[in-house]
Amino acid sequence: MEQFFSTEETPIPQKPAIEFRGVSKTYMTGTHALEDVNITINKGEFVFVVGSSGAGKSTFMKLIMREEKANTGKITVNGFDLTNMKRKNVPMLRRTMGIVFQDFRLIPTMNVFQNVAFAMHVVGSSDKNVRKEVSKVLSKVGLGHKARSMPSQLSGGEQQRVGLARALINNPDLIIADEPTGNVDPNMSYEIVSMLTEINKQGTTILMVTHDHNLVRDFQHRVIMLDGGKIVADNAGGSIQ
Amino acid sequence: MKLSSIKYLTGEGIKNAWVNRLMTLASVGVLVACMVIIGLAILISENVNVAIGNLEQQNVVMVYMKDYNWALYSDKKDTSSAESSSSDTSSAEEGTDTSSAESTAEEADKNGIKHSDYVIHDEKEAKALCDEIAKISNVAEVTYISSNEGLETVKESMPDDQKKYFTFLDEEYGNPLPSAAKVTMKDMALFDKTLKQIEKLDGIDAIQSYGDLAEKITAVKNGIGVAGVWIIAILMIISLVIVSNTIRVTMYNRKLEISIMKAVGATDTFVRIPFVVEGVLIGIISALISEGLLYFCYRVATETIITTLGTSDIVKYSDMAWILLLVFLGIGVFAGILGSFIMISKYLRREGSEFAAI
Repeated sequence: MEQFFSTEETPIPQKPAIEFRGVSKTYMTGTHALEDVNITINKGEFVFVVGSSGAGKSTFMKLIMREEKANTGKITVNGFDLTNMKRKNVPMLRRTMGIVFQDFRLIPTMNVFQNVAFAMHVVGSSDKNVRKEVSKVLSKVGLGHKARSMPSQLSGGEQQRVGLARALINNPDLIIADEPTGNVDPNMSYEIVSMLTEINKQGTTILMVTHDHNLVRDFQHRVIMLDGGKIVADNAGGSIQ
Repeated sequence: MKLSSIKYLTGEGIKNAWVNRLMTLASVGVLVACMVIIGLAILISENVNVAIGNLEQQNVVMVYMKDYNWALYSDKKDTSSAESSSSDTSSAEEGTDTSSAESTAEEADKNGIKHSDYVIHDEKEAKALCDEIAKISNVAEVTYISSNEGLETVKESMPDDQKKYFTFLDEEYGNPLPSAAKVTMKDMALFDKTLKQIEKLDGIDAIQSYGDLAEKITAVKNGIGVAGVWIIAILMIISLVIVSNTIRVTMYNRKLEISIMKAVGATDTFVRIPFVVEGVLIGIISALISEGLLYFCYRVATETIITTLGTSDIVKYSDMAWILLLVFLGIGVFAGILGSFIMISKYLRREGSEFAAI
């Protein structure tokens, strides 16, 4: 696959949203998940992260979320230095990012509105503000008319749009999307990536894990390829060949 | 934390308790059982204390004095007359029961008793001795009982034929009872020590006491106290385990919610509060039910006891209602807060659950 990507690095003048410097991660089980990873993702970039199972994508994302700690190296995300970050400061980091999950992770006992509002309550928004912002974001993802529907009454694509609305509701600087198209049909996949592209155009950094090569090919964004815990390809500043 | 967050989280906690109502009900049931047993232990302990208190009040010590009557009826008059020359020659009056005129200390009266044969010569000296007894720290009350009063009391408590014997004795030989002091003690645990202190005083002939009873009462009181503390401690631990278990079930039911909360930046406190609210709610509901249930059971039990045994020395529930309610609320709230805190902290410390699907 390496021939599809340009691995040449070009200097990027923008401020970094994510920066890995000599990052390695080995789990207690002895698995070397990442080895000496060096990468910079600038603010406002749209990046696809690709790689086979066990390539290190999961660990890469977990390190960005500070769900795991690196054994060596330095990680900076949205201005937070994650290297020596105390546990109590992790929520502050996570409030600067929105997460879209492959399996949607909607709370089945809450309706669409409540599922999105829930993320606003976590950051302490007032009821009035919650009502206003949730309605706005649901309209943005085209689900304004389904605010009272339960997740079980929605299609896969609709559920993922609720997940996207939840990720967007607190105006994050960075959106991490874990295979957001994995459980939806091809048409909906394009629709979701299009939405993410629109969000990206407004300045939000997007980091999307995907296995769908068609999407990677059709949406001309930066691609980082992981294999065996190393970045084997990165077309930063370039394009897919 | 903002007021809107507190309002939201409290609502979530109450909602959780309702959503998991079967588990909540089971926890409330077991907690109520624990609380009722604790309440019963407290009520029994309080009733025993009151009963023992009454016994302690009744368990008076009779202290008999070396007065004229004592000398008259003891063999002292025979042995002491030879030694009397070096004894006290004060001009104190003779005891109230002696009808003899003033005489010198060395001269024996018609009964062969000299002034120096006895220590307490009159009521003034007897009352002074009572004052000395009252000075002992563990003595609660001292009542002086003259020999005449003593005799009257004895006669009153006797059947007529025995009463006649005492009347005859009094008329023929004089009152056989010495002056006495009725002594009540504060703490029955210091009974022996206090007796020894009284014995050391000059003018004391004998002490009639129920030392064994005092020891038994103290032992029973201490035993009930220790048993009560153990019962309460064990049931408190059980209560804590019950609430923790309910919270654990709720927590696993809400695993998804917690992982999303953590992923979107919820603080540990934010995640914890609904669980704490749920735990406290279970505690409060249990406390209120326990209070009502115990009131009903205690009323039925005491009414039966009063009717059957005819005793009225039973602690009223109304006297204990507030204490019991506070104890129940204390246990409930404590178990709720601690139980939920332990469980959720244990869960939150486990990192790596937010992004598991990747």
